[in-house]
Amino acid sequence: MTLTWRNRLLLTVALLLAALYLFPLYWMYVTSLKSGSEMFATPPTFLPTVPQWQTYVEVWTTKGMGNYMLNSLVIAFGTMTLTAVLGTGCAYVLARYRNFWVDVALFLILMLQVLPASLMITPIFVGFNQLGLLETPRLAVILALTAKTMPFFVVLVRATFMGVPQELEEAALVDGNSRIGAFWNIVLPLARNGILVSAILIFMQAFGEFVYSKSMIQAKELQPASVGLNSFMGPNTNEWNKIMAYATIYVTPILAAFVLLQRRIVSGLTSGALK
Amino acid sequence: MSTETIAGAAGVTRRQGLGILSSLRDGKGFDIVLVGVALCFLVALAGLPLIYNVVMSFQEVDMFNLGTFARPWVGFKNYIAVFAQPETWPILRNTVVFVVASIAGQFAIGFGLALFFTLKFPGASYLRGLFLVSWVMPGLVVGAIWNWILSGDFGVLNYALRSLGLISENIFWRSDTSFSLWAVIIANIWLGTAFNMILLSVGLAGIPKDLYEAAELDGATALQRFWTITLPMMRATIGAVISLGLIFTLQQFDLFAAITSGGPNNSSNVAQYKAWEMSFREYDFARGATISVLMILVVMIASVIYVRSTRHEVRG
Repeated sequence: MTLTWRNRLLLTVALLLAALYLFPLYWMYVTSLKSGSEMFATPPTFLPTVPQWQTYVEVWTTKGMGNYMLNSLVIAFGTMTLTAVLGTGCAYVLARYRNFWVDVALFLILMLQVLPASLMITPIFVGFNQLGLLETPRLAVILALTAKTMPFFVVLVRATFMGVPQELEEAALVDGNSRIGAFWNIVLPLARNGILVSAILIFMQAFGEFVYSKSMIQAKELQPASVGLNSFMGPNTNEWNKIMAYATIYVTPILAAFVLLQRRIVSGLTSGALK
Repeated sequence: MSTETIAGAAGVTRRQGLGILSSLRDGKGFDIVLVGVALCFLVALAGLPLIYNVVMSFQEVDMFNLGTFARPWVGFKNYIAVFAQPETWPILRNTVVFVVASIAGQFAIGFGLALFFTLKFPGASYLRGLFLVSWVMPGLVVGAIWNWILSGDFGVLNYALRSLGLISENIFWRSDTSFSLWAVIIANIWLGTAFNMILLSVGLAGIPKDLYEAAELDGATALQRFWTITLPMMRATIGAVISLGLIFTLQQFDLFAAITSGGPNNSSNVAQYKAWEMSFREYDFARGATISVLMILVVMIASVIYVRSTRHEVRG
């Protein structure tokens, strides 16, 4: 067997595996385009006979998705910004020094990373309620979520900073820069890509967040799209084409961003996740 | 050595311009502020709730004293009450089944895929990365899709299984009490497989190639090479991946909310979902806190194992 035939065979197997694995995603898109009767056909059709594009418009308007998506964006953007502002400096210092206290801080951060949101929400809800933070529920979600996402961000960005040659920063200091100047003008620009990718990962995570929003945001007009999807899916629902249309509108921007940035995301993850 | 240089340079500037302000700009103060702000935030929003959780699990919390800190102390009453509830033991059993089955499935499929993608062919790394879409999707969307795939009468999974001759009658994945937990497990395996695969790929890439070449020269078969080289060399990675799997599996909430809501009759309920139900469905915050405290202990033990196994890997 020649090398090209081996490659073609392996590539075919890989494509089949990927198709099998991504089938749920395909099924979401196909179902969203089916008519109300076609989705219940047996045997199921694997391509919609007449694509029902108007379902998207209908779901968008009747479910008030514009508002849901806006709230998701507010929460995702707020969480990403707060996480990046607080986490970047922390990651930088933890990457620059290696001593007992850095180890202690890293250990604490790793410990906080593992706390499940559905378990932390009970004390956070009661505490925020006492502080009056539930009056501004989206801010409350951003604060709680930042505490959840920051450890992951710090671990990833720390790996990036460790890849920045320390000699460059020393040279800047010798040239008369202050620490702030060296950090701002030399180190940050060099670590920019890693920080951006990590921030985008946090954005995606916050864009899909559910537990905190479901528990803390009571007013429908302030809820994000995940909570909206949850209330759309009642126990005895049969509007699966519309639910899948909702899911499609919700998830397609994330998927597009992922496909565009795939290489960077995967390499960022693999460099940081095991360190 | 280089950190000493920075500290030295900072020391020189500190001697030149005394005072807090210059230390903030040029010395240790700069580092302390950067770390301090972040750590204070984390302590306030993760550390304090953690302590508050333990406090509440020893208190009586109801709608009237929810807004005050002065609540009656009840000792271990909440813990006793939680374990006296008839559904507690089945839920704990479900949690164990969910965790073990999810990790086993994610790991086995993930490892298989990772091994496959170590074979070099054009497009391998791109296709491998594509698998990670499952990981960036909102959990609730994943749950909604699987809810529909697993539907009893019209679900495409039942159709596929029927066509393959594996089942003769439809399985009602979500409403049959003997399958409802497995409905969530299937979705969770799908969700976590890609992450397992990527981390295991990193570990596989770290094994020196000459080990395999030497073994091949010595006449070792592919299976022997797997048992004597791949598995021993991957020990630290496997430890990290499995403990990360445990941590992520115990965090899984969205899939339960989107597929079965823990039902029917708690047959697919697990501890982390029950803790939320206690607080936000039955408004019994004290018992919700009690279950949370118990589960957080489990998660923390898992993460200590994780930290230890990654330490090991960095050194070795």
